[in-house]
Amino acid sequence: MNILDLLSIPILNISSSGWETITIAQRAADALSGNSIELTIFFLILCILITVSMLAGLGMVLIYAERKIAGHFQCRLGPMRVGWHGTLQAFADVLKLLLKEDLVPARADKLLHLGAPFLSILATVLGLAIIPMSPSIQVIDVNIGVVYVTAITGLGVLGALIAGWSSNNKWSLLGAMRAGAQLISYELSATLGILVIVLFAGSLQLSEIIQSQAEGWWIWRAHIVGIIAFFIFLIASTAELNRTPFDLPEGESELTGGFHTEYSGLRFAFFFLSEFVNMFVASALVVTLFFGGWMPFHIGNWEAFNSIMDLIPPAIWFAGKSAFFIFLLMWFRWTFPRMRIDQLMRLEWKILLPIGFANIFLASLVILTKFHF
Amino acid sequence: MWNEAAGTFVFYLIAFFSIFTALTVVYTRRILRAAIALACVLVCSAGFYVMLDFEFLAGVQVMVYVGGIVVLMLFAIMLTSSAELIVDRPSFQRRFVGVLISIGFFFVTTTAFWATDFPVAESTKDTLFTKVSIEGEKAEPLDDVVELGKKLLDYGPEGYVLPFEIISLLLLSVMIGGIIIARKPPQLENKE
Repeated sequence: MNILDLLSIPILNISSSGWETITIAQRAADALSGNSIELTIFFLILCILITVSMLAGLGMVLIYAERKIAGHFQCRLGPMRVGWHGTLQAFADVLKLLLKEDLVPARADKLLHLGAPFLSILATVLGLAIIPMSPSIQVIDVNIGVVYVTAITGLGVLGALIAGWSSNNKWSLLGAMRAGAQLISYELSATLGILVIVLFAGSLQLSEIIQSQAEGWWIWRAHIVGIIAFFIFLIASTAELNRTPFDLPEGESELTGGFHTEYSGLRFAFFFLSEFVNMFVASALVVTLFFGGWMPFHIGNWEAFNSIMDLIPPAIWFAGKSAFFIFLLMWFRWTFPRMRIDQLMRLEWKILLPIGFANIFLASLVILTKFHF
Repeated sequence: MWNEAAGTFVFYLIAFFSIFTALTVVYTRRILRAAIALACVLVCSAGFYVMLDFEFLAGVQVMVYVGGIVVLMLFAIMLTSSAELIVDRPSFQRRFVGVLISIGFFFVTTTAFWATDFPVAESTKDTLFTKVSIEGEKAEPLDDVVELGKKLLDYGPEGYVLPFEIISLLLLSVMIGGIIIARKPPQLENKE
């Protein structure tokens, strides 16, 4: 196989006729069964490149965005010195983190202390891999999509717990316990929110959930039930991301830095990066489940408007929608005060969970009576 | 050719890692490392399920065992021991008994595997009244979650709704029991 054949592979065959999802892993598998090992390796490298570049690129962009948005929310300018309007600030931050000394506490469990950041970042990478960014930009599309998402959240909990425990520091341990308790509790509500959409879409697969929204997004078609599920999922995923108003695991005024107090340099950067990229993964999931993923915005039978909307590529739709939810999460962070631990637990177990259960019951009634658009 | 080669390679990779981590669970003297190694073993078995084309079971395996049970173990360990704690080597007697029991268990399981005949299910077709198996045609594994869910809630002769409901009742009673044990004892009212 020469290089020209490689170039002629339809990597970006986006056609407006059929929104057929072809994942990159699927292409690799096809190439493998077609006995062309070169093509398989090419697609596998492409898989790795997409996830790694997403991880690094998103990390930088989100850190810059966070600092800029924080600045403007507090009536300052944010980073302005490095590059035009501080655009190179993220590079400077990364460089600083990479050059810092990597400290391991003398009495820590070294192996686990070194391994925990990798577990955290692994959960993030696995999350990135499943996000359907456009019909042709998705690394894997397992048919148990939603179960997969819930399973990898469990892996993320392990990373935080191990990091806190192996540091052999009471602040870290307290932070880890809080992170663990919070993640496990809010995972329930998040799952209840997702389950409503699974009921409506009739599939666990993320690409099929998007396909089911061709007629209209679930936030609109599932009306009241969908909106309640959306709010539950948004609140629960903000809590799972450990972001304000739920950032107790870090709580710098109480715990210095939470479970990553004892981390520095590259390993701290890993936790930081996974936290920021998880924000993207959560926003992407909100978009996929409730806002039609990469589907364009259509209004009823406004043919002209709809066809103009179709001209915008799906990847841009997806990026725009996710960017909005990332902005919303940052907005939360710079406007809400932090909750106390008892308020946090009360919100989950006494408010969100009963509403979630009632909502899923209501959703099944709505589906049985076909009382949705 | 490449397809089988890749499959075999991945299988042995998972198998060796699985055995290595399983031994770590037993041999490590730091209790938290044992728990993490156990999580690795469970993830490896999820990997085997994926190789057998049954992704749903793999997902549930990771969700329930790694995300639930191992995290629960970690919590228990974190509340009771410190990172510096190293468990003492077990005494000779305990090791001797342990070796005996594990050899016995190995013997029992391998004999069970040798003695059992694992027939490949034959694919069925629906006739008017019953399902009839087709001679010499292997059944395709069913990994459709929708079918699985229907089977689970089906109250016909082939459904599993009764065990499903019994399990959920059992879990409910266990949860209520847990809450009753964990709650504070009712405050005695002040007697005048």
